[in-house]
Amino acid sequence: MIVVTHGAIALRNLQAQIDGLEPVAVSPEARIAERVQLIELLALRGLILGSVADYERAQELAHELVRNATTQAPAFLARACTRALFHRFADALDDLDVAERLGANAETVDREHAAVLQGLGRYAEASAIREEDARRCPSFESLGALATLCAESGDTERALRMHAESVRRYRGVSPLPLAVLDFQFGVMWMHHGELDRARDHLIAAHHYVPAYAAAQGHLAEVEAELGNTETAIVLLHPLALSSDDPDYAAQLASILADAGGTEDSSYWRQLAAARYDKLVALHPEAFADHAAEFWLGAGADPAKALRLARVNFANRRTPRAQALLSRAVAADAMDHKGGRQPGRETAYFGVTALES
Amino acid sequence: MSDHGSGPRALTDPAADLTDVFAFPAPGRPQHLVIVMDVFSRAGPSAVFSDAVIYRFRLRRARVAASGPDAAFAVDDDEVAFDFTFDVPEESDTARPLQRGHCRTPSGAAVSFYVNGEKGASGPGVRVFAGRRSDPFCLDVRAIEKTIATGRIAFAKVGSDTLYGTNVLSIVLELEWAKLLDGGPMFAVVCETLRAGPRPVRFERLGRPEIKNVTLSVKMFDPVNRDLEIRDLYNSEDAFALTPDYVGAYRARFNANLSFYDRLDGRIDWPLDAGGNHPLTRLLLADFLVIDASKPFQEMSYFEIEHAMLAARPHATAGGRWLNEDVMDSLFTLYINGGNGPRIDDGVASPIAWSSTVFPYLAPPNPPQVTAS
Repeated sequence: MIVVTHGAIALRNLQAQIDGLEPVAVSPEARIAERVQLIELLALRGLILGSVADYERAQELAHELVRNATTQAPAFLARACTRALFHRFADALDDLDVAERLGANAETVDREHAAVLQGLGRYAEASAIREEDARRCPSFESLGALATLCAESGDTERALRMHAESVRRYRGVSPLPLAVLDFQFGVMWMHHGELDRARDHLIAAHHYVPAYAAAQGHLAEVEAELGNTETAIVLLHPLALSSDDPDYAAQLASILADAGGTEDSSYWRQLAAARYDKLVALHPEAFADHAAEFWLGAGADPAKALRLARVNFANRRTPRAQALLSRAVAADAMDHKGGRQPGRETAYFGVTALES
Repeated sequence: MSDHGSGPRALTDPAADLTDVFAFPAPGRPQHLVIVMDVFSRAGPSAVFSDAVIYRFRLRRARVAASGPDAAFAVDDDEVAFDFTFDVPEESDTARPLQRGHCRTPSGAAVSFYVNGEKGASGPGVRVFAGRRSDPFCLDVRAIEKTIATGRIAFAKVGSDTLYGTNVLSIVLELEWAKLLDGGPMFAVVCETLRAGPRPVRFERLGRPEIKNVTLSVKMFDPVNRDLEIRDLYNSEDAFALTPDYVGAYRARFNANLSFYDRLDGRIDWPLDAGGNHPLTRLLLADFLVIDASKPFQEMSYFEIEHAMLAARPHATAGGRWLNEDVMDSLFTLYINGGNGPRIDDGVASPIAWSSTVFPYLAPPNPPQVTAS
C-alpha cells in the first residue's frame, strides 16, 4: 500500500486550509485564484464529509465570483464545477462555453466537459475526451478519471486496468484522491452485485479516510446486503446524526425497519422525508433521484417517487435514471392496483445524490 | 510567494508544501547555526504535520570555486541530513492536538518533542522546535502579477501584503556546526519533503526563495517550453545533482525570465553571454542557500556571498537568509538593476510580526482573522 498521510490528519489539514484561506478569499481584495481555491476546498470537504452545506457554500461563492469577475475564465470554470455538483448540467455546459470564449486553457475545459458529459450519461463523448487526455498526459488524475468512466459505463475489465495504472502513478501524499478512487470502484462492484469486491474497495476508502461519509454509508449498505445488520447500523448511525445529506437517515430507516426496529425506523424516516423535501425544493436536479429512491423504499410513496424519477430522467438520461424511472412506474402502477408497497429491496442506496 | 504552492503537486497536500527556508548564525552564539523550514501556507488552527512525510534538512560543505562572470560554488559529495518525522496526533478530534515529532541526527541519535512546545527539545549538539508560527514572509502578489502582465514595474509605494496575518508550520533546527558538520565554515543548505516509505520519494525541495514562483513559473517568455509547467519537475530534482537531461529546460526558463526582469527598468544590467545565458542563471541553478558559519549574524545578508563572487571580491557576511530580511526587495533589486541602481521597493517592508533573535525565533501564530464577508 502507498504511504500516505493518515486520514485524520488529512481532514484536519483540509479544515486548516479552509480556515486559513476563508478570511482572505471572501475579502473584497481577494485574488481570483484564492477564491477559486476556497471553492474547490469547500467542494472537497463536502464530498468527503457528505456535507450539503459545504456544496451550497461553494456554489454561493462561485456565483458571487462570476458576478464580480465577468470576464475571468477561472470564475466560470469554478461555477461550472459547482453547478455540476448539483447536477445542473446544462448550466455547467453554458459556463464551460463562456470559460472557453474567455480564453480558458482548452485542456482544462475539456476535462470539466468530460465530467459533465459523464454525469449526463453521454459516455461515448466523455470517453473520447478522457482517452485523449490519458494518452497525452498519462497521470494518476487522467487515468483515474478514465477508470471511473469505464467503471460507470460498465466496462469493468478496462476500469480495473486503468485503476491499477492510475494508482501506480500516484506521487502524492494525500490519501483523499486514493480514497475517492477506491470508493468509486466500490460503487462499481455494488452495481454489479459483487458485494465482497465492493466491500474490499469501500473498506480501503474508509481506511484511507475514516471520516469519508460516502464510503462508510456504502459500506453499511453492503454489510446490510450481506446480512450484517448490526454492523450496518453501527456504521450508519453516526452518519445519520452528523450529515445533512438525508441518504444516511433514509438508509438507516430502511435497515431498522427490516430488523424490526419500527419506532426508531419511523424517526429516521421522518427526518429523511423532511430533509429530502427541503433539498428537492432547493436543488431538484441534484436530489430528485435519491429522493425518488427513498419514496420508493422506506418513504413508501410511489406517486411521489414517480414524479421525482421523471424529473431526474428529464435532467439526465443515464441507464440508472432509466432504471429508476422504470421501477417507479411499476411501483406506482402496483400501488394503484392495490398491490403491495415496494419493500427495501427496491430502495437502492446508490451513490449519494451529490456524488453521482 | 516565496515557495508557497510552488506547482500543481505542492497544492495537493499543504503539509508537504515547503514555503520557505532560512539559514543564519544564531544571534550572539556564533558556534551555532540555525536552519528553519516552513511548510503549509495559511495554516489554520487545526494544521498538523503529516505522518507520511520526512522533513529533511541537507547540508554539504561548500566553497567558492570561481569568481567573476563564471562565479560558481563547489559542493562536496558528502552530506549530513537531519530528518524530522511526526506521529498521528494523540487527540486527533480536539482543537489542539498533541502531536509528537522526532528528529534523527546524522549520528543516528533521536530527539523527540511535542509540536508547539515553545522550548523545543535538545539532543547532542542540537536544539529543535516544530509548531505553528506567524509566516515571516511578506510580498504583494497582485503587484508582481501586474508587473509581469504589463512589463512595467507596478509596485505601489504602500503595497498590500498577500500573506498578512497568516501562519505556517515551522521546523527549527539549531546545531553546533563545528561539532556536527565536520569542517566548514561554508555550507550549502537544502530542505526537502519526501514521501516516507521503504524508498522515500522527493515531494519538494527548496533552497533559495522565489526561484520556482517568481523566477520559473512564468511561461510566456520561454522560447523553448512555452507551455510547460516546469515546477513539479524542478521540485523533484536533487538540488545537488540536477538530471542532465532537464538542465537545458531549466536554463532556458531562467534565461528568459531573468532577462524579462532585467528589462523592466529600461536598462540592461545583465547582458547575456555569447550562448544567450543570463549571468545569474548558473548561480541560481545551484539552488541552495549558502551560509558562512564563521561570520557573525547580520540582518541583511541574502545573496551577499554570491554578489561578492560576481564582483570577484571576498564576501563580508554569513550569506544565508535571516527571517526578517525583506528578501523580495533584495531579489527584485538583484534581478532588475543588479544593484547598479536604487533598491527596488515592492511596497511591503515587513511581515505582520517580526521574528525575534531568541529561540525558536519565529513569532507566535497570529490569531484567526475575522472573515470579511
